[in-house]
Amino acid sequence: MTIEFRKRILESIQNETLQTALDNNTERRLKGKALAFESIPDWRERRIRAHNVRADVIERLEEYLGQFISNAEANGIIVHRAKDADEAINIVLRIVGSNVYRHLNNADDGSRRTPTLIAKSKSMVSEEISLNHALEKEGIRVVETDLGEYIVQLRHERPSHIITPAAHLKKEQVAQLFHEKFGIPYTEDIPTLTATARKILREVFLTADIGMSGVNFGAADTGGMCIVTNEGNGRMVTTIPKTHIALMGMERLVPNLDDLALMLSLLPRSATGQKLTVYTQLLHKPMPGQTRHLIILDNGRSKLRNSPLKESLYCIRCGACLNACPVFRELSGHAYIGRDLSIAPYPGPIGSVISPGLFGENYFQLAQASSLCGACKEACPVDIDLPKLLTRVRAGAVDEERGKKKDGGEGLTWSTKTFLKIYTRFATHPKLFAISQKFASLGTHLLSPRSQWMRLPAFTGWGYSKDMPRFASKTFRDRWDGKKNGALGIDTSGIGTSDNVPITPISNSPTPNSPLSRFTAELTALSGSVHQTDDPTRSIIEYLTSNNVKRIYLQTNLLDESQLRQAGIDFTHESDPTITVGVTKAWVGLADTGSVLEADEELFGSLLPEIHLTVLRAEDILPSLPDAMDLVKGKNAVFITGPSRTADIEMTLTIGVHGPKEIHVFVDDSKRG
Amino acid sequence: MPTVQLFITCLTDSFFPETGEAVVEILQRLGCDVDFAPDQTCCGQPQFNAGLRTDARAIAKHTIELFEKTQGDIVTPSGSCAHQFRHNYLELFEGDAEWYPRAEAFGKRVFEFTEYIVDKLHITDLGAKWDGLLTYHPSCHTLRGINVDRQPHALLQNVHGATLVELPNSHECCGFGGVMSVEHPELSAEWLKRKISNLEKTQSPTLVVTDAGCLMHIMGGLKRQGKTQKVIHIAEVLANQ
Repeated sequence: MTIEFRKRILESIQNETLQTALDNNTERRLKGKALAFESIPDWRERRIRAHNVRADVIERLEEYLGQFISNAEANGIIVHRAKDADEAINIVLRIVGSNVYRHLNNADDGSRRTPTLIAKSKSMVSEEISLNHALEKEGIRVVETDLGEYIVQLRHERPSHIITPAAHLKKEQVAQLFHEKFGIPYTEDIPTLTATARKILREVFLTADIGMSGVNFGAADTGGMCIVTNEGNGRMVTTIPKTHIALMGMERLVPNLDDLALMLSLLPRSATGQKLTVYTQLLHKPMPGQTRHLIILDNGRSKLRNSPLKESLYCIRCGACLNACPVFRELSGHAYIGRDLSIAPYPGPIGSVISPGLFGENYFQLAQASSLCGACKEACPVDIDLPKLLTRVRAGAVDEERGKKKDGGEGLTWSTKTFLKIYTRFATHPKLFAISQKFASLGTHLLSPRSQWMRLPAFTGWGYSKDMPRFASKTFRDRWDGKKNGALGIDTSGIGTSDNVPITPISNSPTPNSPLSRFTAELTALSGSVHQTDDPTRSIIEYLTSNNVKRIYLQTNLLDESQLRQAGIDFTHESDPTITVGVTKAWVGLADTGSVLEADEELFGSLLPEIHLTVLRAEDILPSLPDAMDLVKGKNAVFITGPSRTADIEMTLTIGVHGPKEIHVFVDDSKRG
Repeated sequence: MPTVQLFITCLTDSFFPETGEAVVEILQRLGCDVDFAPDQTCCGQPQFNAGLRTDARAIAKHTIELFEKTQGDIVTPSGSCAHQFRHNYLELFEGDAEWYPRAEAFGKRVFEFTEYIVDKLHITDLGAKWDGLLTYHPSCHTLRGINVDRQPHALLQNVHGATLVELPNSHECCGFGGVMSVEHPELSAEWLKRKISNLEKTQSPTLVVTDAGCLMHIMGGLKRQGKTQKVIHIAEVLANQ
């Protein structure tokens, strides 16, 4: 272990601003997660099933990849495979190159070359391969659009958390940053800061040549990519620009859409404490007029798959282990450094396994910074035995060749290793062991003749923060002789027997009975609203006139357009950035999450305007996500769960980021009479 | 009268022999014939956790061989050593045709002290007496390693005269973590601070643990900070009549 690593740890601990920010993040995330899991009382079974699904995928990875790729290609997605970071970067550059060419052809003045603009939504894979850096070197402008990611990009930092990139910052720091970079008056008002980012980034979405995103899951049986974002930036970058490039780690598959539904019941709950992320997209094909690329990255994963750290590939990148980890809580992502002082792309417990697993001995030392307390394993929604994997990293299981030469203890200091080696000798020789105890007792009694607790110097490690007990003058083994024959007077009175100790049942808030009332309750809790009606056109006209809205985006064949005209409402079926209200059709609703499923292509109604109205037939409210999975096959579809939101600044929930601030569902119950 | 093998653990043996005496006293009161194999040493967890698997294997073999010569369940006053025996020994001998089955058979005989009393002997009230407040810190490996939590709680709830108060954020690690407490003293110190401040919130003068590692760590921290609270192994509370 390097001195620098310990220095970095100490710096983090002593940074009060960071500690407050981290405490905030941890507490809210843990509470949110616990609450979210209450709504699925069968989560233990789901967790086991999810573990088995992931295990199966990793076991038969090439088979699933083959299936996934051929389905994606049949759907019109251009699939590339990259074996390492360089290959992935070159593929991106090639795609950008062809795009620049097109851009020049379309320019009024053929000689003028504007830099290519890439709008990017969060992707840990792109962090892993340092893509932004490589693109910027080529003169390409890359803008991160997730609010937290945007903030760290402006600060020239790496994300400090895989889900909450700016978890290490307080609002004062963001306020100062925005004040300096955008010249806005200094304000710590989080909605104002968010609105500023919205305005600037909206321009980026609308003008970007290329949109780039990560992928949360690929479904092998349909070739679909699932992308989840709360702010709406993921939807923007995957639907607006003429070219979309998705980056996916090769292990990120599920066999089918049912398994995807299972994973989606665990991922958002574990990551952000949500039942479903606001925008859960299923992308099966390019948008009309769009080219969609998918780059599948290996970058050490095949090697990892053939190593004893294989189980780490089951990870679904929810970040729950980071939030649960007492080490992460003190450090934040920036203190997870390698011997070369580079920040590990993946921090926390999972990062301390896969960073050495993917990138080798530079990051071995991370695995020693753990008490193996098991909080990570407990938090993991797919039950990865992270403490076990950490001990495997320590044992040098990353690299077989190295394992033959070395005897483990990777990342351990020389002194500790030597002490443990000597201790092994004692522990395998009982007589030596007993003698060493006597010497230790004598030694510690000489050091501390009067007190049972001794003060050791700080450099011993132990002495840094605690006193050390003396060795007992008479060990248990020495005392044992007198006990052997059970000479104690045995008094059995007062001993009570019981074989069933009650286990407290999981409490569950009562859930309303009808699908509609459940749907309403869920959506209302997310600050969306539900309007029951037997005539959607009439109700929407009433809503629009009472809010003084004159012009809307309207999905075709949805409302009675002559009535709208009569009421003086102007509408368009085309894209129009000035429009503030969009009206779309929901295919179905989901009662247990308050979500609506819609065509992703309807973004001019459901994503760009500030207010989104959607029409849902009461009979189309299904109980839960798995019931709707059949409908998304082969489509570009999105489950929308409440208005767009973020908690990227100080974990403070802010409604309305890149997507709508309001969502109103008009539930048409005319058929139900 | 069941025969019980006591695995005392190296820390209890060397630092806290009174805990061992309390364990023996309780087991004997419950009618167990307690036996102690004198050649036992350490479970090898420090080596295992540090990644020194060859060393850990040597110690594991010594321990398995030793207990193969004995009869009965093996009871240990440490969730951490029980976790080492039950889970980590299997990890050490994975793929080893000779030792894996031996480790498995050995692991099945092992019980943490409170687990043995509640789940095997079906006893939750030991007739113990205590005056005042008690609070309980679930050691990580007891709680999450071997999933033992309701057992110590059930036993403590039946201590006559004691009021059991909840330790805030009790599930958090105290910062011991074996070698981590010396390899990363800065981290260890932070968690210890947190644990002690949570203990203070309870107003309880006594913190009960199921593991000598947490005991010496938290007690060492209290001593260093000049605090008066005591950390005590659950066996010593339960043996108090």
